[in-house]
Amino acid sequence: MNTQDLIEKLGLKPLSKFEPREINGVFISDMISDVMAGAKSGNLWLTVQTHKSIVPAANLVDAAAVVITSGKEVPIETVELASKYNIAILSTSLPTYELVGMLYALKPISR
Amino acid sequence: MPECQHQWEMTNVRFGYVVFEKCFHCNSLETYFTTEANPILGDKYRDGDCFWSVVENAQSFQFDLRCTKCGHVEKFEDLMGFLHCTGCLDDCQVDIMRRQLEAKKTWILVAFGFLKKKGKHTVPSYKLDILTDYFNQRRDTKRSKIKILSFDLITDLSNCRGDFIHDVGMLSTEPIAERKPIF
Repeated sequence: MNTQDLIEKLGLKPLSKFEPREINGVFISDMISDVMAGAKSGNLWLTVQTHKSIVPAANLVDAAAVVITSGKEVPIETVELASKYNIAILSTSLPTYELVGMLYALKPISR
Repeated sequence: MPECQHQWEMTNVRFGYVVFEKCFHCNSLETYFTTEANPILGDKYRDGDCFWSVVENAQSFQFDLRCTKCGHVEKFEDLMGFLHCTGCLDDCQVDIMRRQLEAKKTWILVAFGFLKKKGKHTVPSYKLDILTDYFNQRRDTKRSKIKILSFDLITDLSNCRGDFIHDVGMLSTEPIAERKPIF
């Protein structure tokens, strides 16, 4: 499953400019240090953090996309930086728990 | 026997805090990593002529890299963290390299060693190459690459407005405001 499939299946809102990528797993954390230590290349990163530091962190671990949950507003500088690095920033009004439930039901994404 | 073409994985991950402390007598800045409980801002102590006060802390982690082929472990206790260059100073060596490398889809990050009163403790260049290898080995390098640079290349540290990739102020429920520069 790629980022475009996921957007369509879960009704996620794309905020940045990006090319679709394959998603090979999910990583959930609101701590950048945790992401840098544990996320894998191609992972979908779920967080409520919106500071622009999420972009270099996502880039460093080669995340397939960052999903901002709970309807958090994403600053324009975060979106612009993500577009520059071709990082997909997606948003949803769903809380993380509900989104995880929907992701869990999508069998093609491993965990 | 040919040298091992190391394939790195992260090991010995230790979560803790990077602590920034400043001497209000000589204005020196020092940093260190601790795995102790949340260091308290404003904590003060005297060491000789210096009066140190904790001015900032950031949730962070330390790690080592282990080769999955030969088992060699490279320790990174001298790495304080990574800085994202924001292109704040046109004549800074880091920004010059950033512009050159980004044209080739290579993204740079600056590896910081710890700051001490007597000077900067840089991460040796061979370790920067290992970090570069590690981050590139785990990504699709056909899309883009990572290059880790030394913070020695920052021309004017006191005016650097780069962003540390740390958890400073990231867990506040207050509306997002621009973080104050550390230096």
